[in-house]
Amino acid sequence: MANAETRRTGPGPFEVVEIERTFLREVGSVFWFIVNTFQETLERVQQGRVPFRAASFFRQSVRAGVDSVPLVGLVSFFLGLTMALLTGYQLQRFGTERLIPGLVAIAFTRELGPLLTGIMLAARIGAAFTAELGTMQVNEEVEAIEAMGIGPLRFLAAPRMLALFLLMPCLSTVSNIAAVFASSLVCKAYFSIAFPYFLDLVKDSLLIRDIITGVLKSFMFGLLIGAIACYRGLTVKGGAAGVGNNTTSSVVTAITTVIGFDTVYNVVYTNFYPV
Amino acid sequence: MVELRNVHMEFAKKNVLEGVSLDVQPQERLVIMGQSGSGKSTILRLILGILRPNAGAIRFKQFEINRLQRKKLQQVRQRIGMVYQYSALLSSQTVRENVALPLEELTEKSRSEIDKIVDEKLELVGMQDAKDLLPDELSGGMRKRVALARALVLEPELILLDEPSAGLDPVIASVVDELIISLTEKSKVTSVTVTHEMESAFRIATRMAMLYDGKIIEEGEPEEFKRSKNPVVAQFLSGSTEGPILEGSLDAIRKK
Repeated sequence: MANAETRRTGPGPFEVVEIERTFLREVGSVFWFIVNTFQETLERVQQGRVPFRAASFFRQSVRAGVDSVPLVGLVSFFLGLTMALLTGYQLQRFGTERLIPGLVAIAFTRELGPLLTGIMLAARIGAAFTAELGTMQVNEEVEAIEAMGIGPLRFLAAPRMLALFLLMPCLSTVSNIAAVFASSLVCKAYFSIAFPYFLDLVKDSLLIRDIITGVLKSFMFGLLIGAIACYRGLTVKGGAAGVGNNTTSSVVTAITTVIGFDTVYNVVYTNFYPV
Repeated sequence: MVELRNVHMEFAKKNVLEGVSLDVQPQERLVIMGQSGSGKSTILRLILGILRPNAGAIRFKQFEINRLQRKKLQQVRQRIGMVYQYSALLSSQTVRENVALPLEELTEKSRSEIDKIVDEKLELVGMQDAKDLLPDELSGGMRKRVALARALVLEPELILLDEPSAGLDPVIASVVDELIISLTEKSKVTSVTVTHEMESAFRIATRMAMLYDGKIIEEGEPEEFKRSKNPVVAQFLSGSTEGPILEGSLDAIRKK
């Protein structure tokens, strides 16, 4: 029996069931968190009142959006540069380097722009939201808000979630522009594709549906990252260590969810709209 | 005004409250005493509906708190003020913003009306000069006073105070206690205070209750409490190590 214990390397069947149950419980909790936040916000609107302070929304928008522009722009610029350079040399062997502009533009608009932005925001803003709300939870500030009769979800979570939901597509666009711009520099410097010709090639290959796909994804990523970050923050238990644990868990969960959702989205999308 | 009937509450399979029954009369200042971890703060959270009991009923006026839906519960909470042990002021907002928060969020009052009320309440607690400071820039006693102003800003019918003088020096503790007495008398507010600070308890209370072993074991006026024959109450008031409260655990400590 003891030998069997020491030989075992992975989780047993009961542990797998427990992990699955925990996973499903967490998915359900985040789903109901989004529903309840929406419901609290809507109730407030139905009363003819603004659901949360405009100043709070703009403060979160600046944090999540404007302040993230340099990071998103720079990382996307470098990735666009690298992608154009590496794919360019391969395509040049077949004399098809004029495919580079379309390749980078489609890859970023449909996939890499939203995905990279999602991952960067989950790490940068998701962690900040969780730590901030978690500290408020530990200091009983959230309970004090609730005790006053103010809905903490609409007051604390809604402006953060809305800021991420609305600004995610904007940041994805920044990412796309930075990457395409970087690839245009590579095309000019290494593959003799002039800027006007580069733009023509991008316009020829990029479809409206590519742009719409990327934008829709970005909205969903923003909502998911915001909801996970706020949910994790508002459910912190166990003082400072709890804040640390939930912040780590928030980033890991948000990044995994964004990538998982992206995969499901792509599978569904390509099944319904092949090509 | 508040009724607790046979309330049971457990945390992590540990019974904290085992059949607590308690009445709070209008305009009285009830002080609930008990050891640390005996469930005093839990009673306040149950009255506010932050926690739901495992069994029993909690009533505030005509509302059965433990049966109310979220929306109705939020409306009822607006009639109750709460002062937390560590004040629980929003750390990112100034004193003025903290006190104005319930008015801005829950009333239709204009900016000038809100400013007037905030100034009034801050003056009542002697904090009008600190309105632009952040909670981090205040001392413990100042934070308590701001928390009191915030709790009173919606003119509640009931105010709940969790350890109002804990962690304060004796002089500031007396100031806070006197403030609680004068504000509740002026505004004719009912108050429920939980504390284990004896001086503070006897200063504030018009009636007292002792929570021990998950139950209210004695209720009465402060003078009756001082004369109590109950060995638990007598030991708690005297602060003696000999008596039923530490039975067993003290022997274990001595043996070590």
